[in-house]
Amino acid sequence: MPAIEAHRLLKRYGTTEALRGVDLTIEKGEFFGLFGPNGAGKTTMLRILTGQLRPTAGEARVLGVDVVREPLTVKSLVGIVPEVESPPSYLSAYEYLYFVGRVRRLGDVDARVGRWLEFFDLREERDTLCKDLSKGTRQKLMLAAAFIHDPQLVFLDEPFINLDPIYQRKLKDHLEEYVASGGTVFMASHLLDIAEKLCDHVAVIRDGALIATGTVEQIRGVESDLESAFLRLVGVRP
Amino acid sequence: MTWLLRTMMREEFRVHASYSGKRMFLSFPLIIVVFAFAIAVTSGQLFAYTPLADAILLLHLSVFLYGMSVGAFGFLGRQYLERRNGTRNYIVTMPGILPMRLRATFLGMYVRDALFYIGLLLAPATVGLLLSVPITHFRITSIAILFAAALLSFLLGMSLSFFVSTLYMRSRAAFGVSVAAVSGLFAAAGALHVIPVSWILPGLAAHDRLPPFATDLPLALSYVALNLLIVAALAGGAVVLVPERFEPPATVAREELPRMDARFARFPRYGTLLAKELVDLKRSGTLVKMFFSFVAPLLFLSFTAWFVRYGLQVPVGFNTVFYAGMVGFFGVMLYNWLNNIDAVDYMATVPVSVPHVIRTKLLTFLLITSWITVGFVVGIAWLNGDTRLLWLAVPVALITSVYMVTMTAYLTGLRTNSFLFDPGVLARFTILSMLPDLCLTILSFTLDRQAVLAIMGILIVLAVLAGTTYMLLEGIEAKWRGSEFGD
Repeated sequence: MPAIEAHRLLKRYGTTEALRGVDLTIEKGEFFGLFGPNGAGKTTMLRILTGQLRPTAGEARVLGVDVVREPLTVKSLVGIVPEVESPPSYLSAYEYLYFVGRVRRLGDVDARVGRWLEFFDLREERDTLCKDLSKGTRQKLMLAAAFIHDPQLVFLDEPFINLDPIYQRKLKDHLEEYVASGGTVFMASHLLDIAEKLCDHVAVIRDGALIATGTVEQIRGVESDLESAFLRLVGVRP
Repeated sequence: MTWLLRTMMREEFRVHASYSGKRMFLSFPLIIVVFAFAIAVTSGQLFAYTPLADAILLLHLSVFLYGMSVGAFGFLGRQYLERRNGTRNYIVTMPGILPMRLRATFLGMYVRDALFYIGLLLAPATVGLLLSVPITHFRITSIAILFAAALLSFLLGMSLSFFVSTLYMRSRAAFGVSVAAVSGLFAAAGALHVIPVSWILPGLAAHDRLPPFATDLPLALSYVALNLLIVAALAGGAVVLVPERFEPPATVAREELPRMDARFARFPRYGTLLAKELVDLKRSGTLVKMFFSFVAPLLFLSFTAWFVRYGLQVPVGFNTVFYAGMVGFFGVMLYNWLNNIDAVDYMATVPVSVPHVIRTKLLTFLLITSWITVGFVVGIAWLNGDTRLLWLAVPVALITSVYMVTMTAYLTGLRTNSFLFDPGVLARFTILSMLPDLCLTILSFTLDRQAVLAIMGILIVLAVLAGTTYMLLEGIEAKWRGSEFGD
């Protein structure tokens, strides 16, 4: 069973078609990267696959679960880092992770929260309200919240944004270990150099349609790097 | 500076229009014109019960309080500056990234709101009075004096509020002292009657020296100058107090959520979410805002009751049950506040549905904030010396408020602010709220004449409201299942 299966996904906002019949299959244990210009449909795709948004037409299954019929089951199985780092303003860093753990009905919440606060070195910010945290710290919290229940699959929307090089490195290492141990990553990003090193399969989306899918080598083709290939695919460079 | 002011004015208009729609917002001054006209043409009866001097005193106190509510830029600006998580941003925060002075933007807010709210309320009210001249034969000079004097009290309230709230940004202790001093001054005038109110409001003192009360122009002008001097000193002082670099102190909180969560263990499906709502309410200061959001409509209600009784001379008995019904219907504001504490976008990343969060907010209202409703009813009964009907008034307030909150939740979900201004939703909301409101109002008026019949009628209305509330609660799941969190 694939980790993600999407068939003819269509999403309309009024008269604008954000997704135009997207077909996609991602196997378990893959590190998948979705790239595209601003407004191409990356976040819409991610939000539909995580049950946050209903497609206008088409169907999708995540870990075998229908995202339209059972969005809550999908959310309970996967981890999600949204585009905007927005933990609740009036909870402390510790309380936010505790909240996520309790909503996810985890048994050993305190131990898990402690582990992730430790992982991102958030001991000093533990009791600071989220509204007073820096963007980078809020991003770390969102990442910790996505991994707190040891999901089989994570959806990451620009996970490296706002992280300093130290934590970018740490996150890269963690994601590599996560995939090596059988986890699946679906990442939407603009950071092609990072993605090139991490992803084994990628897709390029433009104007709501997938214009290329394959391994990094297949997409790169004759170009020297993924960025050049991307610019050619989206029509910026001939 | 004028370009900044123009841009800020445009921003303020768009903010207001985003809540209610341009047309509805622009119609507000017209409503004020009609309202002022209606009061003017019935002023003959009004002045028979409330002497002109008392009415003028009430007017000055009202516009002074109105100015106070408008001018709290220290709180408002601080909230804007701290709101780094929100999806909206305002010009006042721009000095953080542009070569602008925070003091200039705060002064801009003061001037902007002075002009904006004069245009929104004071000027239309004056136009209403002017339109009544062919009927009332008011002197145009008297209306001009009324407008100018009221403007002075409004600006004084705004400046005082600006100064005191900005003081809060510098020192909580100084803020406390200033609040105590202002409260003491008003207590000396209002409760102890040691000094006249005109000593605190030079605009009122000036008004008292001009026609139709007196014709001491030099003394009136000196009060005008004094008022303007105080306004300039307070506004100038407030501007100086605005810190050029605003760094909100980091707030520390130690594991309050788990403690609350344990306390709500008897609600297994809602416990953690309920605990979070309670922590949010406490830390965001929303409980205080909820309390004060009742004051303005209640003042308006009291004014309307006074106007109907003395202005229109309709012999109506406004008893505690009437006020209980009204307070219950204001419950819609409490639900709106519950939806405005913080953005809920992050909920989309956890296995929680929109109907589940709506029901949590309803539970929060029932367990925590419904006591504000009951408190107000008991307070009103005590103030009016009308506690004999409290046994009926409290259930009326509770059932109508639960009905109103559930109905609002059913119609607007988690976006009360924006959905309530959708014409279709607003039409349904109006019908669903006006019908029971009208029934309860009429029945409350007949309590003193046909008690048994009125009580039976009220009990039937409450039973219908309770039944409708149950149906709406059941319908929330179907209506909001599949909807999304966030904007």
